[in-house]
Amino acid sequence: MTEQEIREVFREMREEPVPADSLARVRWGVEQRRRRAFSWKIAVALAMAGCIVAGFLVIRPAKAPVRTVEPVPLEIAQVQPPEEIPVRSVPRARRVRPRPQQVKTVPVLIRIETPDPDVVILLVN
Amino acid sequence: MLEAALMGDIPRETTGSFDRVVRQREAQVLRTAFRILGNWADAEDVAQETFLRLHKHRLTFSNDSAAAAWLYRVTVNLCFDRTRLKRPSLELTDMPGLDRSAEGAVLLEEKKQQLMAALATLPTKERAAVVLREIEGLSTGEVAAALGSSEVTVRSQISKAMVKLRGILTREDL
Repeated sequence: MTEQEIREVFREMREEPVPADSLARVRWGVEQRRRRAFSWKIAVALAMAGCIVAGFLVIRPAKAPVRTVEPVPLEIAQVQPPEEIPVRSVPRARRVRPRPQQVKTVPVLIRIETPDPDVVILLVN
Repeated sequence: MLEAALMGDIPRETTGSFDRVVRQREAQVLRTAFRILGNWADAEDVAQETFLRLHKHRLTFSNDSAAAAWLYRVTVNLCFDRTRLKRPSLELTDMPGLDRSAEGAVLLEEKKQQLMAALATLPTKERAAVVLREIEGLSTGEVAAALGSSEVTVRSQISKAMVKLRGILTREDL
């Protein structure tokens, strides 16, 4: 085969159609792989979102709990006995009672006679 | 235009949706991958990966040639990655032919199979250069941009490849 013939055969090959089933397989394969890639992207995005939420829940500070405050035991202060202070005897002031005012009254004498003639009850004032 | 897009920046303005680009360019990507790799299963994988990269990076193109340039480049690179892992295999009877007279069609089909088999023996870069230049019909500059090499290198690769192909096919004719 000469170079000219080779080039002619090449030109013939240029016009050859491609098998339809091969083209269909390529289209189908591209579509499938595109879908798979899209599914993976969605799955990865969801997984990342899940991780972020989980991480947030883990590191989030817990809700402020109701704290029960233990009563602090009271410290009993130790009281030192006071130093003895020398007691000085101080003369107590005389208490002065107010005297009732003397009311001039008329003496009352009540004589009660008993059946016994020798006994007489006398009530004075 | 395609060359400029390959060499320079990827335009930012959007002209079409991802699905539209896939529909417009799937045959180009699949065919190129098949010519370089030699089998449809690997070519389909490469085509899928190419379009997924387009989708992943949310690239937008101001015109069709920019999209074509980017897709050629990514397709070729993915094919290179794949051929590093394993040698290209060859499927012989997968490409549907055009309606022709029976004898002529059979003869042409036979030549195509021979050529594909010879192509599979070339080093990956030379094979890619021949596929883009001779089968896809890109200019030397566009091929250089897609392969990430200079035009001189591409010319050299194509020249070497043609010599090798001619040698292989001449031996087979004998």
